[in-house]
Amino acid sequence: MASNNSNNIASPTPTATSSFWKRMPVYAPARVYMKTTDEKKEIDVCKRTSWIASPPALSPGTSYFDQPLSSASSRHGSRPGTPSIQSRRDDAIRKRAGSNNSSNSGIQPPDVPSISRTASATSRQSMDLNASISRLSISRTNSLADSAAQLPVNLTREEKFTKILSSANVDSDELRKLSWNGIPDRHRSMAWQILLGYLPCNASRREQTLERKRKEYNDWATQTFSKGESALDSELWHQISIDVPRTVPVSKLFRHEKIQKSLSRVLYCWAIRHPASGYVQGINDLVTPFYVVFLSPYIGKYADPNTCKPSQLPQPVIDKVEADSFWCLSKLLDRIQDNYTHAQPGIQRQIVKLKDLVERINGKLTKHLESQGIEFIQFAFRWINCLLVREFSLNNTVRMWDTYLAETDGFSEFHIYVCAAFLLKWANTLTNQDFQELIIFLQSPPTSDWTHKDIELILSEAYMYKYLYDSSPQHFTTTQTQ
Amino acid sequence: MSKEDQYDYLFKVVLIGDSGVGKTNLLGRFARDEFNMESKSTIGVEFATRTIEVDGKTIKAQIWDTAGQERYRAITSAYYRGALAALLVYDISKYQTYENVERWLQELRDYADSNIVIILVGNKSDLRHLRAVPTDEAKGFAEENALRFIETSALDNTNVDEAFQTILKETYHALAKNQTAEDKQGGVPGQGTQIVVPKVDNDDESASKCC
Repeated sequence: MASNNSNNIASPTPTATSSFWKRMPVYAPARVYMKTTDEKKEIDVCKRTSWIASPPALSPGTSYFDQPLSSASSRHGSRPGTPSIQSRRDDAIRKRAGSNNSSNSGIQPPDVPSISRTASATSRQSMDLNASISRLSISRTNSLADSAAQLPVNLTREEKFTKILSSANVDSDELRKLSWNGIPDRHRSMAWQILLGYLPCNASRREQTLERKRKEYNDWATQTFSKGESALDSELWHQISIDVPRTVPVSKLFRHEKIQKSLSRVLYCWAIRHPASGYVQGINDLVTPFYVVFLSPYIGKYADPNTCKPSQLPQPVIDKVEADSFWCLSKLLDRIQDNYTHAQPGIQRQIVKLKDLVERINGKLTKHLESQGIEFIQFAFRWINCLLVREFSLNNTVRMWDTYLAETDGFSEFHIYVCAAFLLKWANTLTNQDFQELIIFLQSPPTSDWTHKDIELILSEAYMYKYLYDSSPQHFTTTQTQ
Repeated sequence: MSKEDQYDYLFKVVLIGDSGVGKTNLLGRFARDEFNMESKSTIGVEFATRTIEVDGKTIKAQIWDTAGQERYRAITSAYYRGALAALLVYDISKYQTYENVERWLQELRDYADSNIVIILVGNKSDLRHLRAVPTDEAKGFAEENALRFIETSALDNTNVDEAFQTILKETYHALAKNQTAEDKQGGVPGQGTQIVVPKVDNDDESASKCC
């Protein structure tokens, strides 16, 4: 009477997904790869130095309104490829053996030793972390050693940040290097704004720039909302209005009406400036790390945003935080805007990349997922759409973004390696699960007790995968099966 | 697969409708008897499952809860394929969400199988003082379009089980009817839409169940 092929019925099956590709041939995986491959250049690993050290694609201090709306171009092109896995391994091993050439390593998370230092020696995770790193045979010298040499070695991490950020002209390379392993709370707001290219490196220009940008946004927001809600784009405003109360609803801060109004303004203003994508659900989640980080200097050094009283926040403070959040959200989204345009091609492309990456790292897992009828889009879509913000606490997300901001393409390219590391973390559990268990597990992985250590472990593993697999399409061991 | 997970039929069901009408909480109520005041917007799709009995048969519903925002339509419509049933949800306190039901029906016509069974669900019936969509109007619309109809409240747990039970029963009966017709015509048993899970007593499979 009946067939026993449950997967054909039970899931958005290969059929379902392939129909999507059929309707959207322009986003078909093959094209994605052709494009990516074309843009790759074989260069020596030493040249990675240049992209680790290079400033963000958007120049600091430039008026946002001068920037093109779409910046998909920033996703490609600027980042060189690397030699094959084998040659990179050889390269790393050669350096480890003693032929250190201080300028050409560039293969470790900057300042890796301090990860090891901050992690307790007795912590299993820290041992895992060290093991991960030593597996790579990473040399302690790295591409940024030259700049690090400018700082006295006996400074604490906190002092290093103080020194860098108080200099007349912040060395952004050095800031990136330090930030990779996490930014101290009290320096985070400023460091993020510099890393994003919102705040100028040059101290003498900062005050003026901030004043101008804040005024620009606040004047514009005031004007936009001056005629009341009825004058707004009703569909857009409705969507934002129902999503803002659902944004980090566990946080006292984000439940407050004053903050919700402020978030709504940021989202609305961003959306009408970016009609190609407009507001897309999930972007609301992406403002929250900026908001809490930029608010933190005003509510005490280490104050928990959950314990602050938003009703007591003066409006001028909210205006500043709101303006800074708007500009920084813009900077972030400029780099990943095609995640949110029609049919979300950026996400589609990254899901294909993630699947291929995981297949190369752990073919057994992808085979198992496939045998159960699991498609990567079923679980990874949200991971990419919301940059894993939904999977981690806000506090952990903030730590993760320290590293993302220190990476050149943290939110687009590096994020895929983080997603891979995140998925692979559960590989043993997943390979014993059936379709239903897999989907339910992956849509809510058990991360509620995660600390910064767990995040740092994932980030380090991601870095390792990036080092080993980035730009090595010739090492694909399998082919597309769908 | 554990023993309690054995079933006679597996139905794929989709939950669709405008953003904010309460799809996720309807599913949470049906699948886990939960209502979450702090639920977040659904990004892409989310999944849950529950098994019920219909006419002595065990039916497992695998339900895909979809994001309501237009931008996600390209992603979510891929999940319509193969779905045997759809719950098309609107909010009785927001007339716009009821008006958009037409658009959702069109989505189903475009992307779902033509014989998909649909129930129109007016959710948030607890918001009596804010009602914007009269019951009779929605009922009339459902009749005109050959849809089943029910009003629910995921918040106070009114009619939620009934909504899912109704649609699953209807789906089962439609299948059974088709099956009889197919048998009479000598069609291939079970082709395409239903499954019978082998009644296995496999210890390995039971052991693999972990959550």
